[in-house]
Amino acid sequence: MPDIEPLRRQVQAKIRKLELRANSGLWILALFTALSLCAFRDFDFLPSFSESLRASLGAGPPVDYINWALVLYGFSAIILVLSQMTGNKEPSCRSALGHFGYLSAFYAFYHFSAGLPENFWAVFTIGMTILSLLSYHIWNHYRERVREEQEILAELDKLLEE
Amino acid sequence: MFDNLIARAIVPIAIAVTGFVVFGCILLYSLIQSDMTDEAVGHLDSFAETIVKSTRYAMMKDDRESLRNIVENVGTLAEVEQIRIYDQRGQVRFSGDSREIKPSDDIRPIDGWMKQILLAEPDNQTTTQHRIDREAELITVAMPILNEPQCSTGACHFHAEDEQVLGFLNLGISRKPLEKTLALLRSRMIIFSLMVLFLTVSGVAALLSRNLFQPVLKLTFAAAEAVQGVAAKDLPKADSKLGNLEKDFRLLVQQRDQAWQDQKTASFLLKNGDHGAIPTTTDRDEDAGHRTATPPGSGKNPQA
Repeated sequence: MPDIEPLRRQVQAKIRKLELRANSGLWILALFTALSLCAFRDFDFLPSFSESLRASLGAGPPVDYINWALVLYGFSAIILVLSQMTGNKEPSCRSALGHFGYLSAFYAFYHFSAGLPENFWAVFTIGMTILSLLSYHIWNHYRERVREEQEILAELDKLLEE
Repeated sequence: MFDNLIARAIVPIAIAVTGFVVFGCILLYSLIQSDMTDEAVGHLDSFAETIVKSTRYAMMKDDRESLRNIVENVGTLAEVEQIRIYDQRGQVRFSGDSREIKPSDDIRPIDGWMKQILLAEPDNQTTTQHRIDREAELITVAMPILNEPQCSTGACHFHAEDEQVLGFLNLGISRKPLEKTLALLRSRMIIFSLMVLFLTVSGVAALLSRNLFQPVLKLTFAAAEAVQGVAAKDLPKADSKLGNLEKDFRLLVQQRDQAWQDQKTASFLLKNGDHGAIPTTTDRDEDAGHRTATPPGSGKNPQA
């Protein structure tokens, strides 16, 4: 009978890797919470841009435009995540990071258009919703993969005992 | 806790609906707040414009008594928190609060905006300044009182023609009524959102439970009974919500029962030849290890 110990170790390593991936959504959620704490203070601890740099960047977009962009983004992101869940597609950490990037950009645009204090809670709520959905999808998907690997491990353990 | 069938169906819907409804309400509230503030500022502008026109006429006639009277009367209005008329040096000359009027030798530094207006080109001297003071709960507007040809040429008046700005009006109204309306709107929105959330999530949960989870739990219970050896006819009654899955499952159990029965008959014939009586269905069921099903109850699998 061939030695199954290396295979067993391989499966165990895969389980550990999958468990780490299962929690990646939660890490991004924590990262977003940290960013939101900074945004809540309107990034007052960061040095402000010089007048020349501000002038070269130009005026920020009107707050109304950012609001509509946020509604459009929030709606489509939720539909996208729900369709990923329905289609049982493998979620990637990169897509969660992408959403984190979009939400950071919204905080930045509101900050430069001087509309962050009024619209902070809107960005925070939609961000938490999208990232929570994505985290749940990631967690569920990888937990299932972990369970499959654990079944394989149990079979290998049985073979070892025999 | 969150990886069973029910949680997988309910949790994403609950998160998506709750998040989007709360987000929508916050954004809507923020837009309404901004619109109402703009409306209040517009109202304040037209109010200030009326006062400027009245004061300009009084200034043209050099009627200081009327001017003082206008300012004091406007200052008594409940919504008006502050009204001041500054001269060209930025000193308060008339105010709704008489304590704010300083003696002419008490010179205070001129406000930056006023200085800017005084130095600006004539076309840019009509600019108004709006301030929303959240701490003092005030919305204020400041606008210049401009000179006019009939004013500068008036026999009573001492203003030169090139002095475009006669003074400044500063008018402030309280934000409290606006905040009160917004607070009422906020509480109504919270109640409405909670009702929408409760109805949506509980409605979806109830429909899923009735049309999916309960039939699945019943089928799970029936499958557990079949595994224990219960015959197809003794299995709990099924409804048609799961369609062919339910029918096929019962067909499988019937085929198993039939196979057991055939096996029993064959072994009986082999043992006794053609002389023995062929066992009845009930006998065969008992011999085959069949047991009577427990009465169908809640649809829950007792072993789950």
